[in-house]
Amino acid sequence: MTNDSAMDRLRSASSRVLIAAAAFLTLAVLAGFGLFAPASTPGQIFWVLASKSTLSSTLRLSVPIVLAALGGIFAEKSGIINIGLEGLLIISAFAAIFGADATGSLWLGFLIGIVASTLLAGVFAVVCIEFRADQIIAGLAVWLIALGLAPFASQVFYGGPNTSSVGTFDTITVPTLAEIPFFGALFDASPAVYIMFLAVAASWYVLNRTTFGRWVRAAGENPKALDTAGVDVSRVRYAAVLLSGVFSGMGGAALAINIGQFTGNGPTMVNGKGFIAIVAYLFGNYNPVGALLSTTLFAGLDAVQLRLQTADVIAVPDSLVQTIPFVAVIVVLALVGKTRLPEAAGDHYESGEE
Amino acid sequence: MSDGGPSQNGDDPPTPDSDDRWSQYRQRLIRLGQTSVGERILIAVSALLLSLVVGTVIVTAAGLLATCRSPVLTFGSTTLCYDPFYVFNRLFLGALGDPFAGGWSPLNAQFAATLRETTILVFTGLSVALAFRAGIFNIGTQGQLIIGALAAALTVLWAGSLVSGTIALVLFIPLGLLAGAIGGGLYGAIPGALKAYADANEVITTIMLNFVAVRVTLYLVRNHFADPTSQATQTPTLPVEGQFPSILFDPRTDFSLLALLIALAFVGGVYYLLEHTAFGYDLRTAGIQPAAAEYGGVDSARTILTSLTLSGALGGIGGAVFVMMTLGKFQTGIPSYGFDGITVSILAGNNPIGAVFAALLFGVLKSGSNVVAFATDVPPQLVGVLRGLIILFVAMPEFFRIIGRRLAAREPDSPATATAGGGADD
Repeated sequence: MTNDSAMDRLRSASSRVLIAAAAFLTLAVLAGFGLFAPASTPGQIFWVLASKSTLSSTLRLSVPIVLAALGGIFAEKSGIINIGLEGLLIISAFAAIFGADATGSLWLGFLIGIVASTLLAGVFAVVCIEFRADQIIAGLAVWLIALGLAPFASQVFYGGPNTSSVGTFDTITVPTLAEIPFFGALFDASPAVYIMFLAVAASWYVLNRTTFGRWVRAAGENPKALDTAGVDVSRVRYAAVLLSGVFSGMGGAALAINIGQFTGNGPTMVNGKGFIAIVAYLFGNYNPVGALLSTTLFAGLDAVQLRLQTADVIAVPDSLVQTIPFVAVIVVLALVGKTRLPEAAGDHYESGEE
Repeated sequence: MSDGGPSQNGDDPPTPDSDDRWSQYRQRLIRLGQTSVGERILIAVSALLLSLVVGTVIVTAAGLLATCRSPVLTFGSTTLCYDPFYVFNRLFLGALGDPFAGGWSPLNAQFAATLRETTILVFTGLSVALAFRAGIFNIGTQGQLIIGALAAALTVLWAGSLVSGTIALVLFIPLGLLAGAIGGGLYGAIPGALKAYADANEVITTIMLNFVAVRVTLYLVRNHFADPTSQATQTPTLPVEGQFPSILFDPRTDFSLLALLIALAFVGGVYYLLEHTAFGYDLRTAGIQPAAAEYGGVDSARTILTSLTLSGALGGIGGAVFVMMTLGKFQTGIPSYGFDGITVSILAGNNPIGAVFAALLFGVLKSGSNVVAFATDVPPQLVGVLRGLIILFVAMPEFFRIIGRRLAAREPDSPATATAGGGADD
């Protein structure tokens, strides 16, 4: 068994390197075309890639995915697989717009989005921890409940699956730095983008440098030891799942406020971002920074496809180009293969005292 | 109402004068919902009732918060816009065509709509259940249904351009079903192969493939197979021979008894496959004890691939039936039968025969939601909420066990403290 998991780890580590190398090589080839044959199709793609606005939209598209992924990391590290991140994003996206509309303040709306998502995560936590539900099925339920509830509420309050518009956050621009080509996008962005970077740093610090982080990891890897050390495993797991609600809430609220509206048709405006987030943190090996980097890959592809559509560089129909991020997720998942879950993930832990 | 399920335990009260009997009874309660069919049904019914209670709360809350011109109730400045009891009355009785209203016939249009939805849901429920029994979460039935639907539509359209008449009448429906099965099956084989040979988690890949299916079919229909006379993104209408004949029911209801019978035949087929064939045994063992199955000589990779392919084929046939019975053409924006199939299967405890009843229940909910939308201002998305709630409650049998235990614990308290008093209670 240990040998197997070592092999798995080796394999997934090498496929991570492989994917990174492939991405780098593709970039290098495109850059070659961009420099020596800027008019060719790959050359044009390179200049689309290298533009400030592509980075800017990559960051914008990354926000909900990265934040949901951070939430997923906390939950899964503690031993609860939260496959309902998508539902948390949906509910917070709607609640944020509704809250902003009702209170007249975008920031209050942002908070209300977080509260809604945390409440739903709380329900999920109770169902999984208290009532020992199958975590995958309960997670699917969270997704489906939100997928029904948000358009339902939108219909009640706005007479349709889409809400009215509430306006968006003003961008924060750092003078001078924002003028830098390409990387200037980092200094000319919505507050949500800065929140995302802060959240990544804070998550990394909490997970790796604090007692709470150690507890979370122990709850997922070796709950028995944590219990023996006198720490309540269930409590740690509750805290971690609620944190996944807080982070996803920020992500969903940021997603909706970034557009200024909630759209609830079909898969809603969240459109699979919660599931992409799961792959992002698996690919990022449960590391917040890794999740950020792998999200950049998916969101970057999404940004490029959006840009390619408007720039008319290649004549591929929109609906096919839109599949790129989803296909990329599948390819990455197939290459990474089996990820090493925390030892006790998915298992219910019963304290010996009961 | 909310305790409808668990309180049924009270039908079989413990004999309080014997500790032995009591502990037996307690054992039985603790086992509640673990394996047996009866317990499964109890949990499904409890979960259903509990979700209706929560649904009532949601409708009432929404009714209090919404603004409307003619509220059903007014207390001072607060108004109640929706009457939850009327909502559920419309949802259930409406879906059956008002059986208590007099002059009711089982052939009425609304009941036909209910059976029409049920027919498709039987296929998607079977699709999810088959995979589930193999220990695989196929969330991709929706995508497989979409691909199967398009494959069936294009195949029948193509065949319709070649032949017509009696041959067509005999051939087109089986041909369409076969095309749907192949389309859905191949689309299910993708996550199957990815899981079997690359260890890619099927929950994620199937969900991603749902998104891909929507866009690929949109592209194909819009750019290659569009009906030039229509504004909607759809194929031309299928030849009459490729559409299910309506038997007994009014043709305008778009329901075919033949399709329902075919669905029931598939239920029998899947049941037989699972319970009475060597492959079914391998599949179930792989689902319950993957390591033991492997040790016992089951090729797990092949079982995974085959299960997901068959599961996809069932979803694809559902899509073919949707095209050949309900729509008469392929149109983008297919309703979420695949996701409802997850609930159908989970509610049925992944049992093919149970899936028929769960599909009928969901047929009622789906067709009833149209009646609700017509009769009230309550958003039809309510059914989507119920769908999620039912899954959530079925997923937590422990909840019902705890309630069962509490109910049981309340009763023996009296005999434990005062034996005589306890005896008098019953």
